[in-house]
Amino acid sequence: MDPMAAIRDTFFQECEEQLGALETGLLTMEGGDCDPETVNGVFRAVHSVKGGAGAFGLDALVRFAHVFETALDDVRAGRLAPDGRVLGVMLRAADALADLVRVSRDGGATDAERDRLLVEDLKALSGSPQPQAPQPDAVASGSADGGDMDGFAFQPLRFELDAPPAPAEQNWTVRFRPEAGLYAKANEAAVLLRELGRLGSALVTLDASALPSFPDLHPEGAYLSWTIDLATAQPESAIREVFEFVEGDCELDIAPAAGQPPGDTGGIGDIDLAALIQQSQATMAAAPVAPGVGAPRAAEPAPDTGIPNPGRASRPADAATAPASKATIRVDLDRVDGLIDLVGELVINQAMLAQRVSEAGLPRSSNVALGLGDLEQLTREIQDSVMAIRAQPVKSVFQRMPRLVREVSAMTGKPVRLLTEGEGTEVDKTVIEHLADPLTHMIRNAIDHGLERPEDRAAAGKPADGTVRLAARHRSGRIVIEVSDDGGGINRARVRASAVAKGLIAPDAVLSDEETDNLIFLPGFSTAETVSDISGRGVGMDVVKRSIQALGGRIAIASRPGQGSTFTMSLPLTLAVLDGMVVSAGGQTLVTPLTAIIETLQPRTGDVHSLGSGATVIAIRGTFIPLVDVGVALGYRAEPLDPARGITLLIENEGCARAALLVDAIQGQRQVVIKSLEANYRRVPGVAAATILGDGRVALILDVDAIVAASRSAAGQAPEFTPAAGFAHV
Amino acid sequence: MDETLGTHQPGPALMLPDVLDLRAAAPLAAELMARRGQDTELDASRVRKLGGQCLQVLLSAQVCWQAEGRRFRVVAPSSDFTEGVALLGASSLLPTFGA
Repeated sequence: MDPMAAIRDTFFQECEEQLGALETGLLTMEGGDCDPETVNGVFRAVHSVKGGAGAFGLDALVRFAHVFETALDDVRAGRLAPDGRVLGVMLRAADALADLVRVSRDGGATDAERDRLLVEDLKALSGSPQPQAPQPDAVASGSADGGDMDGFAFQPLRFELDAPPAPAEQNWTVRFRPEAGLYAKANEAAVLLRELGRLGSALVTLDASALPSFPDLHPEGAYLSWTIDLATAQPESAIREVFEFVEGDCELDIAPAAGQPPGDTGGIGDIDLAALIQQSQATMAAAPVAPGVGAPRAAEPAPDTGIPNPGRASRPADAATAPASKATIRVDLDRVDGLIDLVGELVINQAMLAQRVSEAGLPRSSNVALGLGDLEQLTREIQDSVMAIRAQPVKSVFQRMPRLVREVSAMTGKPVRLLTEGEGTEVDKTVIEHLADPLTHMIRNAIDHGLERPEDRAAAGKPADGTVRLAARHRSGRIVIEVSDDGGGINRARVRASAVAKGLIAPDAVLSDEETDNLIFLPGFSTAETVSDISGRGVGMDVVKRSIQALGGRIAIASRPGQGSTFTMSLPLTLAVLDGMVVSAGGQTLVTPLTAIIETLQPRTGDVHSLGSGATVIAIRGTFIPLVDVGVALGYRAEPLDPARGITLLIENEGCARAALLVDAIQGQRQVVIKSLEANYRRVPGVAAATILGDGRVALILDVDAIVAASRSAAGQAPEFTPAAGFAHV
Repeated sequence: MDETLGTHQPGPALMLPDVLDLRAAAPLAAELMARRGQDTELDASRVRKLGGQCLQVLLSAQVCWQAEGRRFRVVAPSSDFTEGVALLGASSLLPTFGA
């Protein structure tokens, strides 16, 4: 990849992070927390986007970010109170900034009129004449394609200001030693020094003592370092901000000057220069005119010249004073996926080995069996660690929602407050990627259909602002995400009437409240009298349900009239492995997800009752639960198994309704690696995926909900067997 | 490589390119290496930008030339060049001379 394109890609990835931080910070401020660190964080985010955009000549982005940043600076300096009106403008500005970033990356155009009005609003916030927007040269002299990546045009700027420092000024000593990587990433020491100079009065002292002799010099190496005596009223964080793009590519020490007279720190005087010349002469005497000597050493530290170097004397402290941020690396996702696949193979291989050992009749206490146990433990740990690499907080999806809420709120004229909880809950990246669409739809739906109009809310004695809550948490090895609103709840009469009108249910069907609520998940169902721009985009709750199910998840709804509705999604933490119960049914080996199983039991003949329409129920502790013969349901055999000769697995589906699966036998419990059947073959009803067992055979993983649902529809002529009849509610 | 670098410029002075950035550092070092052992003048009248790496090349070359008893002078500096040298704190190390 073109290095410039790679840097550009990284810039846009970082923009996404900065935009997320910006939105989070603004929302925190909106929530009343205007801690200086929060405000600084918000400022930094916009500043970083601007800085990067400047390097790539993205002028429109730079101009907008500059105005935004100016208003934020006023907030930071206490000149502008961050009240609701100010934050409203800033949140809209954050949306516009995100659009500008997107357009800069993908092409297209933003709403210029909206951007212009926002710029005016932002300027009006500051209420004072704006500092001049940066000259194009100041931020980027390069073309948009990055052909000229220097971005450090000269500007008239004095570094030794004669004006007396303002009373609040503090003296800082900044020691800065770029590494070769800093330059290689299109950063430039001169630009950083100029930025630093903007903070106050700066006295820059160059330390060239690490400079090698000319034949040994690698032109793209980094040998110079600087000590800057800076008098500024800005806090240390402002100084660090200057270096935030280069933190990993330089040695940096920022410390209060501690009474040192300016100019007394390091530097190189005549003595050093003389020493350099001396050293150079010595080197050349040893190796006269030999261009080949001294191979390029771009990334190596500068060679020790043996020259006293006061500028570096304090460096050992650098490590202690450097910001204690966790080191991270960006890794191509394909590499991680490749690793996960390999670990999956390792798990399968380990299982096969265990099976062979078991078949060989080795006792459990044998060294081989014990060693294998250790290997299994280790394999599982490796697998967990690898999975953890892909795990990400749901924050990346959650933070897209405030904007959606603002937009839908504006379109519907319903004021909405979005509360989020558990943003740090981690789940596999693939799950996260598939969460955005269903969540977007559910939140739209919650505002459009769930929340009442403000006047209706007032009449019901509710606050005018509706509340939509988005929460995530871990529960029993799954992630549970809830979208709830404090609206009017599902209008069951209307839902029922709509379902009857659409022929989805018979006019005389007897449905429980829960079943009525669940009608909204039926394909083709919509209660909206007019198709609105918001929810009526051809995506119904049935699509939401299908996409959740495709992830191995379940969705349930709970609604209370007048109090609101809660949609609960339960999803696996990973799509790569599954803890399963291996069973046999109709001569086939199948895997049932362990999370669905509540208990297993041996049915007694007297507990099983046939209901005449092909449906069977089993009495478990006084409750009748539908019994599904898995072998029959999947078509492995025509004749049902005698329940007394089988085993039942009591399972719970998404609606907390229970069913009992009848299988021939249980083989054991193990972790299996999920292989997509859809990707490798095609979708099969009743089957979620496949796996490879220890003996090398392919086993299908049951889609428990689908099997239960299919058996219910098969017994559809007998509606009394549905949960409405009260059998399944335990 | 920047075409303004050296070879197209008549006379003994090496004409420095307008942008002395990361990408100009290696060509500049090569140009200078080719002139090693000769008195060298560098014409900085066109320079608009000076980066840390080109400054390194200039400083190291200057030391090398001086050690070998050769003249090394930066002449006719543009205001941008002078400003850039000052910005990088190198005014005392890299003296410049009028044209």
